[in-house]
Amino acid sequence: MVHSVPPRTPRQPVRQRPRLRLLPASAVASAVLVAATVLPVQPLLPAPQQAEAAGDRAQVLTVAVSQSVDSLSPFLAQRLVSTTVHRLAYEYLTNYDAKDARTVPGFATAWQPSADKLTWTFTIRDDSKWSDGRPATAEDAAWTFNKMMSDPNAATANGSFTANFKQVTAPDAKTLVIELKKPQATMTALDVPIVPKHIWEKVGDFSKFNNDKRFPIVGNGPFVVTDYKVDQYIRLKPNRDFWRGAPQFDELVLKYYKDGDAAVAALQKGEVSFASNLTPAQAAALKNADHIKVNDAPGRRFYALAINPGARSKDGKRFGNGHPALRDPAVRKALFQTVDRESIIDRVFQGHAVEGQGYIPPRFGPYFWQPSAEQKIAYDPDAAARTLDRAGYRKNAGGKRVGKDGRPLDLRILCHATDPNDKAIGKYLQEWWGRLGIGLKVECLDNVSDPWLAGDYDLAFDGWSVNPDPDYVLSIHTCGALPATPKDSGATDNFICDKAYDSLYAQQAVEYDAAKRAELVKQMESRLYDTGYMNVMAYPNAVEAYRTDQIKSITTMPEAAGNLWGQDGYWSWWSAVPADDGDGGTSGGGSSSTAVAIGIGAAAVVAAGLGLLVAMRRRSTAEDRE
Amino acid sequence: MTSAKPPAPSPAPEEPSAPDAVAAGGAPSPSASSFAWARRRASVVRFWQHYRTHRAGLFGLAGLALVALAALAAPLLVGGDVQSVTRAPGRALEAPSGRFPLGTDQFGRPLLGLLVWGARISLTVGLLAAALSVAIGTLVGVLAGHYGGWAATVIMRITDWFLVMPTLVLAIVLATVMSRSVWTVIVAIGVTSWPTTARLVRAQTIAVESRPYIERARALGGGHGHIMSRHVLPNVMPLVLAQTTLGISSAILTEATLAFLGLGDPTIVSWGGMLQDAREAGAVSSGHWWYLAPPGLAIAFVALAFTLCGRAIETVLNPKLGVPR
Repeated sequence: MVHSVPPRTPRQPVRQRPRLRLLPASAVASAVLVAATVLPVQPLLPAPQQAEAAGDRAQVLTVAVSQSVDSLSPFLAQRLVSTTVHRLAYEYLTNYDAKDARTVPGFATAWQPSADKLTWTFTIRDDSKWSDGRPATAEDAAWTFNKMMSDPNAATANGSFTANFKQVTAPDAKTLVIELKKPQATMTALDVPIVPKHIWEKVGDFSKFNNDKRFPIVGNGPFVVTDYKVDQYIRLKPNRDFWRGAPQFDELVLKYYKDGDAAVAALQKGEVSFASNLTPAQAAALKNADHIKVNDAPGRRFYALAINPGARSKDGKRFGNGHPALRDPAVRKALFQTVDRESIIDRVFQGHAVEGQGYIPPRFGPYFWQPSAEQKIAYDPDAAARTLDRAGYRKNAGGKRVGKDGRPLDLRILCHATDPNDKAIGKYLQEWWGRLGIGLKVECLDNVSDPWLAGDYDLAFDGWSVNPDPDYVLSIHTCGALPATPKDSGATDNFICDKAYDSLYAQQAVEYDAAKRAELVKQMESRLYDTGYMNVMAYPNAVEAYRTDQIKSITTMPEAAGNLWGQDGYWSWWSAVPADDGDGGTSGGGSSSTAVAIGIGAAAVVAAGLGLLVAMRRRSTAEDRE
Repeated sequence: MTSAKPPAPSPAPEEPSAPDAVAAGGAPSPSASSFAWARRRASVVRFWQHYRTHRAGLFGLAGLALVALAALAAPLLVGGDVQSVTRAPGRALEAPSGRFPLGTDQFGRPLLGLLVWGARISLTVGLLAAALSVAIGTLVGVLAGHYGGWAATVIMRITDWFLVMPTLVLAIVLATVMSRSVWTVIVAIGVTSWPTTARLVRAQTIAVESRPYIERARALGGGHGHIMSRHVLPNVMPLVLAQTTLGISSAILTEATLAFLGLGDPTIVSWGGMLQDAREAGAVSSGHWWYLAPPGLAIAFVALAFTLCGRAIETVLNPKLGVPR
């Protein structure tokens, strides 16, 4: 929120007041409280900031978030909230333009591939400094990449980018040279935060270090992380020396609201400036609210059902307790044939989503793929029943489908307890699959990671935010992303390991021709669709809202119709302009100052009344005493 | 008879019950048992006559009868289909109308139907959890009161430990670690709310066991089991009954709380679950009051009804509580 923090006046002798004063003081305080409860609260809240002069207060931009941080270490973080923080706190070699997501300079100002495209030379900017004052150089970038190449623990989050690197060197402070084993299409989309070598070379075990003990966290992005409390807040201060220009707010706070309704209530009251993941009802209600703008734009996420293909590790060991029948393609097909995606869009998302097709959302046009008519697994419960009958899963006397091994098709689905959509769709799936004779248990957990990584699930609700370069979301389904042993955790999303898919992945990774690469990516999506482990149900819109009396302007990405939270860059929070910065003031100014006047007036009247009462009572007791 | 009064001339129906009568006269057993039954019937009638004088108790009873009837007849009243999301008749979050008197939820299901259907879960969980809690409490209380000694001390210290633990926190922990189902909630409430009953029953057991007829029974060769089941248990039963009735309302409230916190079975319709669904749909911040108010009021109503009944029963059974309210 944009509330004002008055500058601290040092050493005010509060304690030394005579005791008697406390009484009228508390009377005034309670009178103010009374007035605050009687008068409309909303206009009163932003009042002090308008009453004060503009110069001496901190503009705080508060963002309501709900997702827990998995790690603040850029080498481990995979969740959206963590990567968003890293976008703000560290520079990446390149960035994506807010308008059309084309590659723009970031930490590197220019890049040049060699003729054989196997050696890439990046020119590193010389006007970037770490927040502790040291210059940020090519040496830091080289160290970051070399660490990810040499230490598997440092490659957990972004290892897909460096797997093909042969050698990374920094001949001088301004030059970074990356030599590749094979050509690599993602060279101008290396979504890897560059960390300061002088801090990180002291870190021992990269699998355990979460970067959340010492603050401020040294970085060179537009913001500096100054404080973090698990599931309470993440505080960031602007980096005044940021080369692109310092952000305009004085502080950015990601404040935790585990309950969406509480976040919206806080937005309505002005306690937070921004809330995302709105439900349809909340969006509809906020559309009519004053000083609030609802942003309903195509999202960059897909929302899918993932089927456990039988969890396994690179060493070939199988683990977890996924239902064995799910390895039968017929069962998977029947399950997906009974998912009515149109209903889900219409009833659950109430139109705030687009029906799912291929793996990559339509927003990323060149990579968007749709299954052909004969390939498509359409909603057809009768066909699903036939599919199962043919595969030998017949209904028993109790109406349950039973496999040849006599084991009934009783499945579990992992659902995020914090995501209402998971629960809602779980109810639909239960009924759809129940009619087919398949039992479904909806297991909603606060922490789905543990059973997920252990392979202890049958199905799961899955979703990823897709980057303009789709390499990462494609890489998480390759065999290479599987965990090394059952005890490790790999980058894999759903333990999928498919030869055909992997070879396509390898081909697209070395393809520099954009059109040809897009064609390969589409083939991968087609292959992924045919394996039948993932069913993309929807591409949810980004439904979010912000207070226009606190944020004057903010950049969406893409600028035309885009999201604010979870962008592929730092544009939204970096560009946000405080509402009452400079001239004009806000439209709410007049009414709120009236409210303040009334409030103060009421408080004065009540205080006077109380004072009179106190005085009279004192006099009366004095008389009684005599 | 629950009181600590010395054996009243107006006897509890259980005290000189069938075996005593047989032992005393060697009279033909049919007449003895019919005598006992007559006495039981008489005491029930007497109980009802006393209970009838408590107007609040009658209100509570009428309310309960209404809710219980609605819950039992729910399949006839609203049909089993009301829970179905795929066959929901309305649009999402419709305001109350002639077709949907209480509006619809985010799936388009009629809220009135869900409210009636939810009564089944809330009542079931309330009754079973209270029964479980009172059963544990009675067992612990009677054992501790009867045996005494170091075992009782240990048991009562454990009871004290449970007593000072905040029930809700403990229930949340249990509901979190166990799988999500109705039974989990019942067990979580049952095993966390028994200590009060245990303390009460223990005190009553000690009071009962100090009466002379217990000594007489012991002298005639009655063992521990005989004394506990034949003499102590019947005498603590009224207390247990009152405790159960009062416990149900708190169990229903706890169930609603757990469901509201998302710890219930998300696929089952209960009142607390409805509140949770309302919160998740954003009904609070978007002002859909008709989604929130009915389940909340229903919970309050049933809890109140059980409390009124429990108070009335307590007053009737324990004359020391005095004037009818």
